[in-house]
Amino acid sequence: MSESTVQSLSRGRTRALKNFLRQFLGHGGAQLGLLCLVLFLVMAAVPNILVGPLQTAINATGDFLASPSSQHLLGTDEVGRDVLNLVVHGARISLTIALLATVISLIVGTTVGMTAGYFGRWVDDWLMRLTDFFFVMPSFVLALVITPVVLEVMGRGGEILGFRPSLFVIIVVIGMTSWAFVARIVRSQTLSLRERTFIDRARVAGSSNLSIMVRHILPNLVPQIAANGALVVAGAIYVETSLSFLGLGDPLQPSWGTLLSLAQSAGAASAGAWWYLGAPGLCVLTVSLSFVLIGNALDDTFNPRRRVIP
Amino acid sequence: MPDTADFLRLEKLQVHFPIQGGLFDRVLGRPAGTVRAVDGIDLDVGRGEIVALVGESGSGKTTVGRVITKLAHPTGGRLLFEGHDMTSERGASALRPYRHRVQMIFQDAYQALNPRHTVFDIVAEPLRSLRLVKNDTQLAERVSEALASAGLNPPGDFFARFPHELSGGQRQRVVIAGALAVRPELIVADEPVSMLDVSIRSQILQVLVDLRDKHNMALLFITHDLPLAWLIADRIAVLYLGRLVEIGRADDITFNPRHPYTVALSNATPKVRVGVSHIDLPALEGEVPSAARIPKGCRFHPRCPMAIDRCRQEDPPAVEVGPQHMSACWRAGEVKARSELLGVARSSSVEPLERRLVSSLVKDRCRSSISAEAGVPDLPDPIRGP
Repeated sequence: MSESTVQSLSRGRTRALKNFLRQFLGHGGAQLGLLCLVLFLVMAAVPNILVGPLQTAINATGDFLASPSSQHLLGTDEVGRDVLNLVVHGARISLTIALLATVISLIVGTTVGMTAGYFGRWVDDWLMRLTDFFFVMPSFVLALVITPVVLEVMGRGGEILGFRPSLFVIIVVIGMTSWAFVARIVRSQTLSLRERTFIDRARVAGSSNLSIMVRHILPNLVPQIAANGALVVAGAIYVETSLSFLGLGDPLQPSWGTLLSLAQSAGAASAGAWWYLGAPGLCVLTVSLSFVLIGNALDDTFNPRRRVIP
Repeated sequence: MPDTADFLRLEKLQVHFPIQGGLFDRVLGRPAGTVRAVDGIDLDVGRGEIVALVGESGSGKTTVGRVITKLAHPTGGRLLFEGHDMTSERGASALRPYRHRVQMIFQDAYQALNPRHTVFDIVAEPLRSLRLVKNDTQLAERVSEALASAGLNPPGDFFARFPHELSGGQRQRVVIAGALAVRPELIVADEPVSMLDVSIRSQILQVLVDLRDKHNMALLFITHDLPLAWLIADRIAVLYLGRLVEIGRADDITFNPRHPYTVALSNATPKVRVGVSHIDLPALEGEVPSAARIPKGCRFHPRCPMAIDRCRQEDPPAVEVGPQHMSACWRAGEVKARSELLGVARSSSVEPLERRLVSSLVKDRCRSSISAEAGVPDLPDPIRGP
């Protein structure tokens, strides 16, 4: 390909991307969501610079359940650890779990949904029954059953793919229970896409099924996947929090859910230690909300017909 | 006349679609019936020949095109290409040599282009999939060449554009360029101009006719528009409810139809000059019956103004009514008598709207066919003046 061709091709792509960004960033919800998200991503990226190393009962600096002061902006917990320190360190765990679980869920969901929708007939029947199975399976119950088994087999100390077993289990369980929703949406969109004339044209052009799926169908699914992906992240954070709250988290790597669980067992609510419960709770709320806002903004940007309705 | 032997041949081609019954019917094993979209069609297309397939919506003309391009699978009959039976070939890799030689132009250029691909990617797709180029330089050359022969100049300006940045005519040209890129020997064009403004139709038709002249490419031109078919085609095949009712040279079908349905079709065309009345048959009433319930006997009889008892009982076979001219009608001879009576009316009865608009193309046709036959003076060219 000549150089000018490459240049003009990339110019076309850049223009499309600029248009998209302008529309997306013009959305008030997207701005708010992105702002919050960037804040939390920074927290997750460099917690040691912001609040120092993770405090444990050994190196705790404060009083027991001290209320917020200039020294401890968000107070302390029952063993004297700084809550701000815990919350900032928890961001990394919570976000990692949520994002990895979402990646699993999007990959599985897109593959299953696209295959079912594209091939139809018996492939569709079987894959959709499988999807139904995962759709009705409650993630709590699954996690409650699997986690102890894995912990028993592996022990709390080992590592699976670089994760401590309990984290890994939570990631896989959330990923495996949330893909069904993605698969259904992707399938329905694929069903309508595959009837479009450009798929026939690709077939006449000699493209194989795999190439049609990857080059023609997948790019047209990106809006749905991106918009729903953001919602899946919000759901994953929520599930992770709930599972950790039930005591399935890893006490050595506290996520926000684990903190909530600790606060609960320390009797923070009855002791009036609102900061101990409130700080992680507010973080969960804010991050979930910003992902939902971003998801909705993406949906609006990709779907011009919805913009007409205020 | 082009050589018709063994290029593309359809033998008793059938495409029946099963009707998906309700759960109740399926449980009881009750057959829900079939839609007989194409019901026994014999057709030859020669190398470098332009054949028009004409019929109303629901006549099965698009399905025939989809069978030839292997997008639909026949349930009966055979599809032969250069003597090779292509009926049951499936799978992208097995069909590659065939795809290289047979391409398709789609009706709706808005739908036929992937909104997320650039014009370059769209036109390059068959070249890449069929592995016809060795490197990117060659690819860019072939794409430029195809865009240029479809009339998009200079081709480089269009490479990076997305379909939504193009006008309707330009999109149709991109679709055509995509089909041309592989230098096929046969193109199935499914109503390539019906979605376009009348003003750009002639340009697109000219592109297609030029291709035949330059590269000896055969064209199966699917349309519902009889005058348009006459303009572009060497031969016209008229379809009704999945069956060929009449086939013959373009001039014969247009000026000397031997089937009441063809007559009705040409009557249904808007005329510019309404001086002399046209062939004396009342216009068609009603709609094409459902292909799931094809009438007994001749399938046209419920709407035919000339139907007799025999038509209600027996299906007429296609019989030769002239050189290269077949008609499937029990009363084909009488249709002829009626139209000859009105021979004088010919020149004015085929004065369709198109002919005034399709300038250069028409003038060749007019000179060779009508004016010579009926002695009509040369028509002034409406665009360039007399």
